[in-house]
Amino acid sequence: MSVIYFIFQQTMLFTIPLMVVALGGMFSERSGVVNIALEGIMIMGAFTGILFLNLTGGKMQGQVQLLAAIIIAMVTGIVFSLTHAYAAINMKADQTISGTALNMFAPAFAIFVARVIQGVQQVQFINTFRIESVPVLGKIPFIGPLLFQNTYITTYLGIGILILSAVVLYKTRFGLRLRACGEHPHAADAAGINVYKMQYAGVAISGALAGLGGLIFVVPTSTNFNADVAGYGFLAIAVLIFGQWKPGRIFGASLFFGLMKTIAAAYSGIPFLASLGIPSYLYKMVPYIATMVVLMFTSRNSQAPRASGIPYDKGQR
Amino acid sequence: MDYVIEMLHITKKFPGIIANDDITIQLKKGEIHALLGENGAGKSTLMSVLFGLYQPEEGTIKVKGREVKIKGPLDANALGIGMVHQHFKLVHNFTVLQNIVLGMETVEKGFLKMDDARKKVMELSRKYNLFIDPDALISDITVGMQQRVEILKMLYRDNEIMIFDEPTAVLTPQEIDELMQIMRNLTAEGKSILFITHKLNEIKAVADRCSVLRRGKYIGTVEVQDTTKDEMSEMMVGRKVNLTVDKSEAKPGDVVLEVENLSVDARQEGHTKKLVSSVSFQVRRGEIVCIAGIDGNGQTELVQAVTGLRGMSSGTVRINGEDVTKKNIRYRNTHGMSHIPEDRHKHGLVLDYNLAYNGVLQQYFGTEFQSHGFLKNDRIYEYAGKLISNFDIRSGEGAATITRSMSGGNQQKVIVAREILRPHDLLLAVQPTRGLDVGAIEYIHSELVKQRDNGSAILLVSLELDEVMNLSDRILVIFEGHIVAELNPKEVTVQELGLYMAGSKKEGKGNEV
Amino acid sequence: MKFKKKKNYVGVLSSVFAIFIGLMVGLVVLLLCNPSQALPGFATILSGAFTHGMRGVGQVFYYATPIILTGLSVGFAFKTGVFNIGTPGQFIMGGFGAVYVGIMWDQLGPVHWAAALLAAVVMGALWGLVPGVLKAYFNVNVVISCIMMNYIGMYLVNWVVRSYKPLFNTLRNESKNVAATAVIPKMGLDKVFPGSSVNGGIIIAILVVLLIYVILEKTIFGYELKAVGYNQDAGKYAGINEKRNVVLSMMIAGAIAGLAGGLLYLAGTGKHIEIKDVLASEGFTGISVALLGLSHPVGVLFAGLFIAYLTAGGFYLQLFEFSTEIIDIIVAVIIYFSAFALIVKTLLGKLKDKKAGKEGGNET
Repeated sequence: MSVIYFIFQQTMLFTIPLMVVALGGMFSERSGVVNIALEGIMIMGAFTGILFLNLTGGKMQGQVQLLAAIIIAMVTGIVFSLTHAYAAINMKADQTISGTALNMFAPAFAIFVARVIQGVQQVQFINTFRIESVPVLGKIPFIGPLLFQNTYITTYLGIGILILSAVVLYKTRFGLRLRACGEHPHAADAAGINVYKMQYAGVAISGALAGLGGLIFVVPTSTNFNADVAGYGFLAIAVLIFGQWKPGRIFGASLFFGLMKTIAAAYSGIPFLASLGIPSYLYKMVPYIATMVVLMFTSRNSQAPRASGIPYDKGQR
Repeated sequence: MDYVIEMLHITKKFPGIIANDDITIQLKKGEIHALLGENGAGKSTLMSVLFGLYQPEEGTIKVKGREVKIKGPLDANALGIGMVHQHFKLVHNFTVLQNIVLGMETVEKGFLKMDDARKKVMELSRKYNLFIDPDALISDITVGMQQRVEILKMLYRDNEIMIFDEPTAVLTPQEIDELMQIMRNLTAEGKSILFITHKLNEIKAVADRCSVLRRGKYIGTVEVQDTTKDEMSEMMVGRKVNLTVDKSEAKPGDVVLEVENLSVDARQEGHTKKLVSSVSFQVRRGEIVCIAGIDGNGQTELVQAVTGLRGMSSGTVRINGEDVTKKNIRYRNTHGMSHIPEDRHKHGLVLDYNLAYNGVLQQYFGTEFQSHGFLKNDRIYEYAGKLISNFDIRSGEGAATITRSMSGGNQQKVIVAREILRPHDLLLAVQPTRGLDVGAIEYIHSELVKQRDNGSAILLVSLELDEVMNLSDRILVIFEGHIVAELNPKEVTVQELGLYMAGSKKEGKGNEV
Repeated sequence: MKFKKKKNYVGVLSSVFAIFIGLMVGLVVLLLCNPSQALPGFATILSGAFTHGMRGVGQVFYYATPIILTGLSVGFAFKTGVFNIGTPGQFIMGGFGAVYVGIMWDQLGPVHWAAALLAAVVMGALWGLVPGVLKAYFNVNVVISCIMMNYIGMYLVNWVVRSYKPLFNTLRNESKNVAATAVIPKMGLDKVFPGSSVNGGIIIAILVVLLIYVILEKTIFGYELKAVGYNQDAGKYAGINEKRNVVLSMMIAGAIAGLAGGLLYLAGTGKHIEIKDVLASEGFTGISVALLGLSHPVGVLFAGLFIAYLTAGGFYLQLFEFSTEIIDIIVAVIIYFSAFALIVKTLLGKLKDKKAGKEGGNET
């Protein structure tokens, strides 16, 4: 039983950041802007967030400190993503190129600044954020250990973001307009919607969520930050496609990817898997291979927002 | 006089061109006012000015006598101006209702509230006889219904002034009649309509007054009742127009193209749909056979199957007696087939190649233009010179002009020149005059006739009834993927042809020659 | 061919503009960090490559070799209409092919290095082939499948190198040295640039650049590739087998990137395949090189040399206690602004308008 709890808890640590970032990507693409810069934004968010943890270590109560770091990471993500928005929306730049530039910029910037501030590029932090057991809830049999022990506040935050994303996308005026911009911006424009504003909003949300995702990916899995989020930003793009740009499916896809990551990282501690003798590299490769296979069968009638990646030009009708 | 909109002395310039030169249009309350002009006459620019997409250099706009500044579609909407665009502005995976309320949503505590909107939409739908299913997805409904959704969008916004931009291009004759009736209903309820078109019949049928633009200039406004079609067309083109083509009697020779039981299926959401079903016909040397039909009835797919751009599910295609059903496009291109494609930007040209490279698009691999895999650029440019001089193609830098920078008419001339000049027995011409001005249309028509007289077999696909009647020696009417009639243009009236095209009249089967 | 010059003129100007902005941003960053050292530091970026005379120049060529080729790979694919972001995967697969042959087939003698390079080309081509086939026959977005192939390639190489004893240097957690016969010959360059790491690789790279240039500009194969790249539908209409073209162009792009990997790991400069879960940076730099070089083979050659030049200069920055990442920042900014071709166009357009008054132009 404890193995199942362990796997589930670990899976959540991988799943939640992946899902949050993919949801961010979803908002951007649903507004019509491809955001391949998720990786870079994650790095920036993680960097400022962790730097904050490093500087305020021991001076604040754990969960408060973490929440403050989360806000900082999100704001950083927004600011950084706006450069992509500017290129994509105002300058009508090729969105893949601009995103690639951001992906190159982020790690170089994080290392450079870390060196300037503290001499070395790794930013250390002390993890005081793990919740052994949530009061009351943690004691519920089965569900308690599964969901409310050895966990992080970020897990619940992630679930909240998932629900909120689905509601915002499908039940609000903002969501309706955002989706219209990603599918047919000229229609949205003709209906009096400011397409540029909606696209800025979409990209900014992706920035906030990717920044957050970067932080909550690093916090539970490491004790220092080395300008790297292990390709999770790219994996999130895979999750987004796997999830066909829909919140519920994105959650499912992240769970699958998270599980694979968990197995790759911890299979030797899981008696059943260890006895199979499959090398960890295979588990590491499975999410990517699975994505390729899924793409082979879904690309013909992809649900991708139709206008995604095409710079919106008012003049062309 | 009681004008709802006045656009006075509007001038809008772009680098190198004056798109609108001192144009004045006045729309009376409750009238249907046609705006007539050729492609490029400045109609779209004028409407963009009215919607605030462009700011004019000179001139003023008055709404109900009051001068206004319009900075964007929102301003226009606030002034009660709405528009049905030529290409509908509908989100394909939204429902009808969502599309109607988009931009004007009612919200309660941050959540969308659709009930009131639904009630209002259904009321409007009943009042104006605009039948719709509010919960259907746009991608699932017919073009006619999509247009009704566009009209409801304007009504939902309480627009008093409605602009229809070329609204009939995609409709069947029956749907056109219906639309005309709807337009009359709207004006009866006090709405005012500006109706942009280049079809004189429709102006005659429904409009009260008509303003004419030509090359960015305002020509004049006439009472439709007191003006003949010829007069209006002369105003539009600037000279007497004779769109009837001079041609002698066809002298059909050997069969060049033979299509037998050709079917094209498409899989859509799980079920198979027949786009072309079991079509058979022949085209002989020295005749122009026209496939007439309303857009979307399978003519595109039929031609694409004949050319090899699209696979067919069954049937055979023979060119000069040879079965080419299983042959690829390259083989057909080099065995007698020339093809002026429907969409010159999509298929006809590599827009980022220059004129010379586009001129050899199906011939670059021939020994004339290459040796040992290397291009003979001298020859390619020489050949382009021939295209340019024989067909009077105008371009900034001759053969080296990037085709993207050329005008639509000249781009089309490049294609026509290329397809005519290369050796062929069969010429497939799909809407060869779409979007061109009258001069270019006349030119292309006469070229097609010349090719016919030189012994080519020509298969023409056209949506324009006048073109069909004037050019063809035989007419095949296509409806929902079937050939429903074979007609002689000399013996059939336009009205009759329209009935066949709409599927309300059919010949018995087995009428292919 | 006159039109070409005119078009590229705008492109080159926009690259120059982007480089200028990138360098200015670099200068500003240096100023913010340490104002007193900023100017000498900046001067070092610009001229540091020449610090040690011909040896420095040799180093520039050495650094440039792999990124010219990965840049060529991206640029070539770009010309043919696909965005090959899969260079990191193709690069490492190529490197692996070269290292494998370089270590295992040590009885080949004088052709050993050529055989190892061939293995690199084949492995890279294979890794490019997959996204090409998926695009042609399953309509899979190339960018996405390339990203997937990058990770699959990286993990696969790490896995094989690590688990196959003859290849693995346990102590250093990287691949072993290749046989001496597998090291790329110097081809006389060690005489010209004494003391530097440059080898025949740069000559091979330049030859490949020329080859690709000829293919793209002079042959009917290039005509077809570009026609499909510019407009796939028109290519099909013209009777070109557009599926075959996508597959071939991705294969060629992969082969070039694979060759880059081979040249680097056979350089005999102590470069080994390290077992790290990190994508090959040479692959990503290739994207920058291609963008800066406007995807034109000759442009790519110069862009590769330029970035190598900055990198070489960047090394000496450490003297001023700046970290070398400033170069990456500058390059990232350059790429960002090179995507802004629009600005330059409008600026040029305005200038032209002023000059030409209200005549000319063909927009409506």
